[in-house]
Amino acid sequence: MPAEASASSGQGGAPALAHARGARRAAWTRAARPWLLLAPALAVLAVLLLWPLVRVVLLSFQNHGLRQINTGESDYTGLDNYREILGDPFLWKTVLPNTVFFAAACVFLTLLVGTLVALLLARLGRTWRVVCSTVIMMAWAMPAVTGTYVWIWIFDPLNGVVSGGLDAAGAIEPRETNWFTDRWSFYAIATLNVVHHGFPFVAVTLYAALLTIPRELPEAALMDGANAWQRFWRITVPTIRPVFAVVTILSTIWDFKVFAQVYLMPGGSGANPEVLNLGVWSYIQSFSRNEYGMGSAIAVLLTLLLLALTVGYVKALAGEGEEP
Amino acid sequence: MARSSGRGGVPPAGRRLVAASAVLALGAVTACGGDGGGDPDTLSLWIMEGTNPDAASYAAELGAAFEERTGVGLDVQFIQWADAHDRITTAMAGGELPDVAEIGTTWAPEFGAAGALADLAPRIEADGLGEDLLPGLYDAGTVDGATYGMPWYAGVRALLYRADVFAEHDLRPPTTWEELREVGLALREAEPEMIPFPVAGGSEYGLDPFIWGAGGEIAEPDGDGGWRATVNEPEAVEGIAFYTSLATEHGLSVAAAETWLETDQLESFQNGEAAMVINGNWTVTTLVESDPGWAERIGVVPIPGPEGGLSPSFVGGSLLGDFQSADPDLAWELISLMTQGEFAGRWAESSGYFPGRQSLVEEVRAAGEPLVAPFARQMLEAGASLPVTDRYGTIQGEQLLPRMLQSILSGEATVREAADEAAAAMDETFAG
Amino acid sequence: MNRTGPWRRLGLGTAVAALLAFTLFPVYWMVSSAFDPGADHRGAAVLPEGVTLDHFRHVLDEGDFGRYLVNSALVGLGTVLLAGLLALFAAVAVARFRFRMRTKVLVMVLIVQMVPLEALVIPLFLQMRDLRMLNSLLGLTVVYLAFSLPFAIWTLRGFVAAVPRELEEAAYLDGCGWWRMFRSVLLPLVAPGLVATSVFAFIVAWNEFVFAFVFLQDDGKYTAAVGLHRFFGQYSTDWGAVMAGSTLITLPVLLFFVAVQRRLSAGLAAGALR
Repeated sequence: MPAEASASSGQGGAPALAHARGARRAAWTRAARPWLLLAPALAVLAVLLLWPLVRVVLLSFQNHGLRQINTGESDYTGLDNYREILGDPFLWKTVLPNTVFFAAACVFLTLLVGTLVALLLARLGRTWRVVCSTVIMMAWAMPAVTGTYVWIWIFDPLNGVVSGGLDAAGAIEPRETNWFTDRWSFYAIATLNVVHHGFPFVAVTLYAALLTIPRELPEAALMDGANAWQRFWRITVPTIRPVFAVVTILSTIWDFKVFAQVYLMPGGSGANPEVLNLGVWSYIQSFSRNEYGMGSAIAVLLTLLLLALTVGYVKALAGEGEEP
Repeated sequence: MARSSGRGGVPPAGRRLVAASAVLALGAVTACGGDGGGDPDTLSLWIMEGTNPDAASYAAELGAAFEERTGVGLDVQFIQWADAHDRITTAMAGGELPDVAEIGTTWAPEFGAAGALADLAPRIEADGLGEDLLPGLYDAGTVDGATYGMPWYAGVRALLYRADVFAEHDLRPPTTWEELREVGLALREAEPEMIPFPVAGGSEYGLDPFIWGAGGEIAEPDGDGGWRATVNEPEAVEGIAFYTSLATEHGLSVAAAETWLETDQLESFQNGEAAMVINGNWTVTTLVESDPGWAERIGVVPIPGPEGGLSPSFVGGSLLGDFQSADPDLAWELISLMTQGEFAGRWAESSGYFPGRQSLVEEVRAAGEPLVAPFARQMLEAGASLPVTDRYGTIQGEQLLPRMLQSILSGEATVREAADEAAAAMDETFAG
Repeated sequence: MNRTGPWRRLGLGTAVAALLAFTLFPVYWMVSSAFDPGADHRGAAVLPEGVTLDHFRHVLDEGDFGRYLVNSALVGLGTVLLAGLLALFAAVAVARFRFRMRTKVLVMVLIVQMVPLEALVIPLFLQMRDLRMLNSLLGLTVVYLAFSLPFAIWTLRGFVAAVPRELEEAAYLDGCGWWRMFRSVLLPLVAPGLVATSVFAFIVAWNEFVFAFVFLQDDGKYTAAVGLHRFFGQYSTDWGAVMAGSTLITLPVLLFFVAVQRRLSAGLAAGALR
């Protein structure tokens, strides 16, 4: 805080004292202004998310079943829930790899498609731009539940469009095919669903960021004789980088937490344990098995995992000299 | 929501008042007050949505009748089956439960053990109702002599088949397991495009009759007040083996069905693909309503036993539970009104279910309506209930039986392995 | 920047076609099933059996969807306005002021997003009960505000940071006060960011289901997403109604987007004008 440091330096005589007092008040105002601006947003987040988050953490140290839910009693069991989860090979062999690889694939593809679409939008004429952006909004606006059921239909092993096409090509025998029982094909379909629903967010946000590039910059660069590729790396990339960083962090957070798109798939609600991810596992422990303490512990672990990733990411950004 | 059950620290009346004024104030701010809720002279009732097409008018008339009888209004809210369990649990956590709610049969032991439901046994006894309540449904709500749910309406699964296809190829509905397989194989020859008998991996209710029919059980009381899994004992394994062999050995099903739920299986029947399915009496109503022509095309028989007779089938349906209402007399009054006399019969009739009273179901069986009577027979002669313990709710939540089915159907495990694994997981839950 | 050679045109055309195909295919299925009289047993048919408005009629009459859409619109617009305002203030604070704990605040804002929402249902329900905000659309609006703030703050922070400081300083030199500068320099330049965050906040509020269902106990106050779930029955799903309801849910978002997307080009114009 270099500005504040210089404020209290004036000393000596009465007028100087008054001056110093005024300067201190000014400094205080200056220091308070950001907090005043932040206050409403932070208050909402603290009351509605941070405190419930603390409750989730407290629950994770308890044995909390329906009885406790009903009576409001608490039964602290220390680290038992964590011990049980972390000692379960199911976590390490199935749930964690599912969560991480699925999220990584979704984040990568969502960002890739979203960025390409944003760049495409920036190159289109007005009419096509409006058409395309409105159409991609449909993918985003479609309720996730409906979207999931539609993708399930498209990949229906017996009657779906894809299986029909492959059958006609002689590639598969529909009556003997079921993509939902296999971990890989299950997640391939879920990935397609998540990317379809998620890329418009990236595209619209990045397109908005592209619009903040002042027009003079590319023109100036053009006069410098930079080619398209150089212009892209020198001007476009630095401008959208802060927004791109945000989009990456948030996509990562969301894709680690994917729930409905897995839970609603055939076998995704527990009948096929091979395909559980952390979000679904936490839900099943809580609401299906009535072990809310255990479910909360899984949720806390997921939060810690994301926290580690995000802090790493923010540090890397800072390392690049691009202070968050 | 108005007269919630008074759990939590604040005295119910005071809290109600505060909550009501808060709701009203906020409603005014958002300019969407609606009826505001919070009227202390009402009893709240949650009913599942989608079982009854006439639910709205039923609710209105029920409310009027209840008000006439007691002078207290009725606030009926419809909630969706799929999300009802979560909603009740959350409301329980917040002390915002309704006075009375419709609950699924396996929920009664769960919520009862948690202390959220009132024991209705003394009232049932006082009113002399016990004798006539439908056994399968009554048992499902009764744990250690305490009855946590009053039977409201009942459903049961039997064997639905395509009467037109059977007639065309001169086939008869099966009366033994052997015949079920034979008729399936004949259908596979005669109608190669159809699925003779889809074995849905996501539903345990199609499997249960075969476990029970072979003389097995899913779990039994262990004699010390606990339960133990018996799903891997020889009789049960025999039933599981026969049921899954229809798909794995005899090709009467398709791979897609490994992940089907009961709804998917019904859809395949509705789309004209499946020739036989095990499904509930309510589906007949749905089918005929969507296309009256179905009445000519479906046949129903009870699920055959291995050597003849009937295999038991799960009696499902709904109970009415009193969520520790602040006014238990009024809550019982409402439950009685809904489960006896005109309102009970009316709900069953328009929803396509059976009333929860034995005598009424017997009347249905005697009437002999071809698409209804076989279900009534199944229910009266071979109705069964799942293990009545709060742990079974957990086991269902975990989907242990669908998990077992899917691993057998997809060839990941043998019947023996899968059953052993399921039994081990069940015992862990029973112990836990 | 539009130099259009034939290859470039072809490339763009292919890209647009691929984009539209990928995006529209599922949407097509939703919309066509909404009009299909045989939606419940459509199976593999790519074309619907015919065209009917019955599903829409059913959804609007018996499903009471009209009222739910109004509820959703109130909640959605409330969320958008509050989120835009609060996030912009916060974004200016973190992008334009240097103060102790700045990075910590930013990370904190993200952390609250990291818990799976399903795990938050019960704690948040208890919180809302204590705040006496259950069963109110305003309460729901505040919850969605909380869900959309982290993204909005972080995104707008990027947009505010991208505005060159020299522009602000030039405004001060011209004798503008902070507020004046904010209105005539900062605001137009971050408008595209505000559009993006508004769209995001609107969709969060519009499509959320779990909290709306659990918090609203009075079925007259349900939002459209909750209304949609009415058509998923225990033993069968009314696909025609589900698809018609989904189409009705999707449409207003498009209208909202078309209404605000012009601000995207307005932002461009402002950027060019300065």
